[in-house]
Amino acid sequence: MSRHPQPPHRRNEETSAPTSSKKKRAQEPVVQLPPAALEAHNVAKDYGDAPALHPLTLRIEHGQRVALLGHNGSGKTTLMRIASGLLDASSGKVTLSGHAPQSLEARAFTSYLADTPTFYDDLSLWEHLEFIARLHGVEEWDQLAADLLDHLGLYERADELPNRFSRGLRQKAAIAIAFIRPFELLLVDEPFVGLDASGKEALLALFDQAAADGATLVVATHELSFVNKVERIIALRDGAVIHDGPQGETNVDALVRADATASE
Amino acid sequence: MKTVSRVNSLGLDAVTALRTTRRKHRVEEMEWFEALYRVYLAAIVIGGAILFLSGLVKDTPLSTAELSVVAQRGPHVLGVVIAVALFIGIRSGNNGGPLAVEEAEVRHLLLAPVPHSLVLRRPAIQRLRSTAFSGAAAGAIAGQLASRRLPGSFAAWAFYGAVFGLCAGLIVVGGALLSHGLRFNKLLSSLVVSALVAWQVAMAVQHTSFPGPFDAFGSMALWPLHQEAIDLVAVIVTIVICASGIFTVGNLSLEALSRRSSLVSQLRFAVTLQDLRTVVLLRRQLSQEQMRKTPWLTLKRVAKTPPIPRRGFQSLLKFPARRIVRMELLIAVAAMCQVWAYRGTTPAVIVSGLCLFVFGLEIIEPLSQEVDKPDRTDAIPIERGELMLRHLIVPTLFLLPFTALGVLVAYLFEPDAITLAVALIVGLPAIGAGTAGAIINAVKGAPDPLGQTNERMFMPPEVAGMTTMTRAVWPPIVAILGSLPILAVRTGVHHGDNAVGAALRTAIGVVLLLAFVGAWVRHRDAARQWWKTFVDGGKQSAFGQPGK
Repeated sequence: MSRHPQPPHRRNEETSAPTSSKKKRAQEPVVQLPPAALEAHNVAKDYGDAPALHPLTLRIEHGQRVALLGHNGSGKTTLMRIASGLLDASSGKVTLSGHAPQSLEARAFTSYLADTPTFYDDLSLWEHLEFIARLHGVEEWDQLAADLLDHLGLYERADELPNRFSRGLRQKAAIAIAFIRPFELLLVDEPFVGLDASGKEALLALFDQAAADGATLVVATHELSFVNKVERIIALRDGAVIHDGPQGETNVDALVRADATASE
Repeated sequence: MKTVSRVNSLGLDAVTALRTTRRKHRVEEMEWFEALYRVYLAAIVIGGAILFLSGLVKDTPLSTAELSVVAQRGPHVLGVVIAVALFIGIRSGNNGGPLAVEEAEVRHLLLAPVPHSLVLRRPAIQRLRSTAFSGAAAGAIAGQLASRRLPGSFAAWAFYGAVFGLCAGLIVVGGALLSHGLRFNKLLSSLVVSALVAWQVAMAVQHTSFPGPFDAFGSMALWPLHQEAIDLVAVIVTIVICASGIFTVGNLSLEALSRRSSLVSQLRFAVTLQDLRTVVLLRRQLSQEQMRKTPWLTLKRVAKTPPIPRRGFQSLLKFPARRIVRMELLIAVAAMCQVWAYRGTTPAVIVSGLCLFVFGLEIIEPLSQEVDKPDRTDAIPIERGELMLRHLIVPTLFLLPFTALGVLVAYLFEPDAITLAVALIVGLPAIGAGTAGAIINAVKGAPDPLGQTNERMFMPPEVAGMTTMTRAVWPPIVAILGSLPILAVRTGVHHGDNAVGAALRTAIGVVLLLAFVGAWVRHRDAARQWWKTFVDGGKQSAFGQPGK
């Protein structure tokens, strides 16, 4: 028997999707936000004589769902990492809701789900969730954590060390950690890699929930089930934007196929 | 619309709670017996080192004239230690040091809305503390050794030695924190600190009373001889550097911390295994040293060029400028050490050998790459020994220009026509021996085709430990052996022999050693196979069972 709170249906209550964090945070103060959730102005990155990202300018409005496409080495991860504050841009400027990426405000505003899940060696999944939630000031974190783990099929493994999980379970654990905290901008890099069908479904439901709550989603992926739902598609090639337009006006299949070919 | 989380004390409470939980986990999981065994091993190694150094220092008290030289030049010479400490610190900070936190800490804690200064202050202070302790311990040992030949009490020398070592340790970490936190311009800060080192070295080498920038530190270490209040400036400067470093810790780059987090853990592991080649490789990665995208010279596509030497040229011609400069510096230092050894400072040959060994680790890049990709090596239809030997052709050719540099440096210190001849005769085998040591190190790091690495797992710890020790120590010893002929030249000249003749006679020994190393690389697998068959045959006749 787990020592953690039970998800709703395990308490013989009605089965439901994970509790939206919207209600839990309704009492928290709303911050006045400037127009763009993510704004990049001439942002470039190079490693010595190897350019990773050419000067790139883009603006992503609040509440938009954006798919970032591009073959391996196109600059998607570099852009994500610059926006999250993990990389310093060689030139140009990025702002998240008007704040520099490494500022306290930007870090409170943004949740970054990286392509490689990273965990503490000595903390269980439950301890990870507790720590991250408390860092971000989530007070009733335990029920939210239980719901998230149940939704992702990890509830029974809450007390295990995520560093010992398989690739797919590690990805699910990282997803739980990204969603346990409040955010307005979610940056996600290749989240479907390693997930089974139920995991993909669970993640899509979480994306839908976050979008319904008004969060901005920027997701680097080729997963058509997500790409077909977004409002906007940005495609990168060799560190430069080659396409930026609404989903309805984009031949998604052609773009995804072109990327797959380029990756090979 | 979701709301951003508030930045409040709740987050800081979480950090405190996390650290308490992790400390609890660590204590629970600690293997006390293993920890005590490590302390025991460290005590043996340190004790042995002290005994060795005591033997070198001897017990004879210095004469009055010698004491006067120590009092006059000591502050300059000891100041060089502090200058180098500051240089190392500034370079480390420029390359993203000195902190290495876990990747999870970067991803979760440093991306959370908690002030970085609060998160990073603790690891910074821990780093300062541990380095200061090591420095103080080394300083106290040096002070104790000095007390055997200098007037003054043992306690006083040990105490001021410890203070000096503590300052050196703090300056390394404090300088790195300051350089990283304030994001010093890499080129400018390197130039400034190099100029300071050059100034201090010039004061130490020249017989002058003109002050060096770090004399106060050296003078403080000599307080048992004479005390000057002005030397306290050294302590104040150290405190200011460290306090400023701690103050700017919140400004450290997440990119650098993230990059270092994984590399430093690998580096520590490599150090644990005494794998110097991996240490050098990881040091290059830590400082983001990449191969050039375009080679210094583009090779023409000639169908008849053998592929392995061509691959060697393609590799060495892409060395970045800083790597070439580093290799040149190593050669220059080795040449200076050879000159000092010739003039009478015998231990300088050890420094020379070690410099050439590190140089060798750099120049055998094509071979190292081959060793690091054993699956590819085994897929090539050439015998492994033959393949490795062919990988050494190009690095051997590249030794020539570096030898010329060494000869030139030696000539600058000993401007005599005979120096050119002796330096060439002694220098080329010395550089070759340094490279041979590196080759042994690399080839021994290759996977064992006979699977004897697994057998070693079943050896008693004492035997396995001794084998590992021999494996780690043998390559630098070969490198140092190559630097010894200069001592024979010195002795020969003292006895009125011809310097060139003495050089030639001893250099032949080193050339034979190099030939032996070449043969070992070529026939290592065959020899080991023969030995295994021999041992298996012995086992079979003794126990009636085939060996596995």
